[in-house]
Amino acid sequence: MSLRQSMAGLHTWGGLLPSWLLYVIIFTGTVACFDKELERWMRPALHDDSSAQLTAEGARNWVMANADKDLHAIWMRGPNEREPFWAVHWMTNAGEQGKAMLDPATGAPLAETLGGQFFFTLHYNLHADTLGMYVVGLAGMFMLVALVSGVIIHRRIFKDFFTLRPRANGQRAWLDAHNLFGVVGFPFHLLLAYTGVVVFVASYMPAGGQVAYGNDQEAYFTEVTGSYHREEVGRPAPPAVSLDGLLRDAQARWTGAQPGWIVIEHPLDASAVVAIRRADASRIGDLGGTLSYDAATGELLHVQEQPPFYRAYSWMVGLHMAQFGGTLVRALYLMLGLAGCAMVVAGTRVWLRKREARAVPGVALVRALDGAVYLGLPVASLALLWANRLLPAELPWRASGEGWTFVIAWLAVALWSALARHHWRLALRSQLVLIGLLALGLPLLSLLAAPNGHLLAALPRGDWGLVGVDLALLAIGLIALIQAWRLNPDPVARPARRAPGRLEEAL
Amino acid sequence: MDMTLQTRRLSVASRVLAALVGGYGLAYGCTAFLSVYLPLARPDRVALAGLLCFAVWVVGALYAFGARSATRAWLVIGGLALLTGLCGFLPTELRTRP
Repeated sequence: MSLRQSMAGLHTWGGLLPSWLLYVIIFTGTVACFDKELERWMRPALHDDSSAQLTAEGARNWVMANADKDLHAIWMRGPNEREPFWAVHWMTNAGEQGKAMLDPATGAPLAETLGGQFFFTLHYNLHADTLGMYVVGLAGMFMLVALVSGVIIHRRIFKDFFTLRPRANGQRAWLDAHNLFGVVGFPFHLLLAYTGVVVFVASYMPAGGQVAYGNDQEAYFTEVTGSYHREEVGRPAPPAVSLDGLLRDAQARWTGAQPGWIVIEHPLDASAVVAIRRADASRIGDLGGTLSYDAATGELLHVQEQPPFYRAYSWMVGLHMAQFGGTLVRALYLMLGLAGCAMVVAGTRVWLRKREARAVPGVALVRALDGAVYLGLPVASLALLWANRLLPAELPWRASGEGWTFVIAWLAVALWSALARHHWRLALRSQLVLIGLLALGLPLLSLLAAPNGHLLAALPRGDWGLVGVDLALLAIGLIALIQAWRLNPDPVARPARRAPGRLEEAL
Repeated sequence: MDMTLQTRRLSVASRVLAALVGGYGLAYGCTAFLSVYLPLARPDRVALAGLLCFAVWVVGALYAFGARSATRAWLVIGGLALLTGLCGFLPTELRTRP
């Protein structure tokens, strides 16, 4: 077997198996380009401009008063343009975690919702914590292998750039589409798959810490990131110095740069440290410069200096996270992410079209999985947004209600696709109509449920974050309906224009 | 015919394992090796080795399928993994130098 043939087999099967998982990861990552805009869209309390009253001091006091008494660490982030609220997270010594989003105007917790964060978390750990993080990492490795083997089997990478024959027979057209989206998006997909697995390198590849630090995690993290850590001393903490004063001091030292996350380590112990991280959206990677203060005296203990290759790591993580360059960069990431979804979808369609006529085992399964995942996830995501708008804000279980709506909607589409696998064109058409109606309905529903956030209210205000989400929903709805209308429910098989070559035979 | 089909299946299964397990082992060994022998300070050795390790795994996985036989794939991947890993972990003084 030649190298190209063996790589073709690897590309076909190593690409097919993780297809549906990769689609979930790429789709949610694409949505997460605008997770912060979606977060605000899902929190109508933040739709009108309100002046920030809650200070860092107030946010800390809220945690000290409302969290468990056994606090190990607090993470807080103040309001900024895209996220106009206080986010506070905490962890107890027993390892229990809590979080709240505080309204900057009133200081009270915002109404429960999963928020845009839901898609981001689904993207990197499938809401399955450590296990999910490893599964996503393995999927990333499969993607890298599929991308590289895809290039090796590609004879005419330049020519395929300009080749799309939508009227050719099904397999040829899907292969063209797979090649087009794969080739156009290739540098981006390679970069994002690689930087994606790099994010959790400390978990995925512990060899460096084990060999060079004798498996001492604390020493490893502190030295590699150039950060500061102080052990607990077991005495109660004296009264803390004002956090707002520390923030002013930090901004003065950074000559004006804004603070990002504030971390308070063991706030109830005399060794408490306040670490203030720098937020700089003009740079790709985190530049470091985190300032660590003694929580009681306000004395500056340490200024973070990233070692050069940790800075390279930060840069790669920054490239993945797309928090630089503003809306333009995020919109570009969104388009290339959609190209990634299209590449994955077209890839499984090539596999299917090649085998449909021969009744190969697995065709029905692949077809059912296609419907269940490729259409189930968008339907479930839209259903989640509907639940957000329909469930009253006061409801204590609003967030879990949204989650259950997502799960049930997805299961329903999956079941539908499995049952209708022999009438899959009809099912596909109905599911596209469903996506169209759900997407078009949301901006209308907002007219009733989000009095300050719907299009007619946000547009005159020039609130492009909210307007953008609604316009995207309208566009998705229209495209889905047009596709449903164009989809031929009863196609006449067209004869192949030419005999497939040997390489295509191997695919 | 049956015999050859079964041999082929075994060979594919062996290559899959060589790509997944062997490939990770190779990446692990190379990370340990580079974390010790790169001419850099300790945090930089470890950070750079970590950044490169996934490329090593990808190359290992591709080789597992490109190699002339599954046995050869295992010999090369497993051998290199063992060699780099031993070179990384054995010199206890050298490997934890600052």
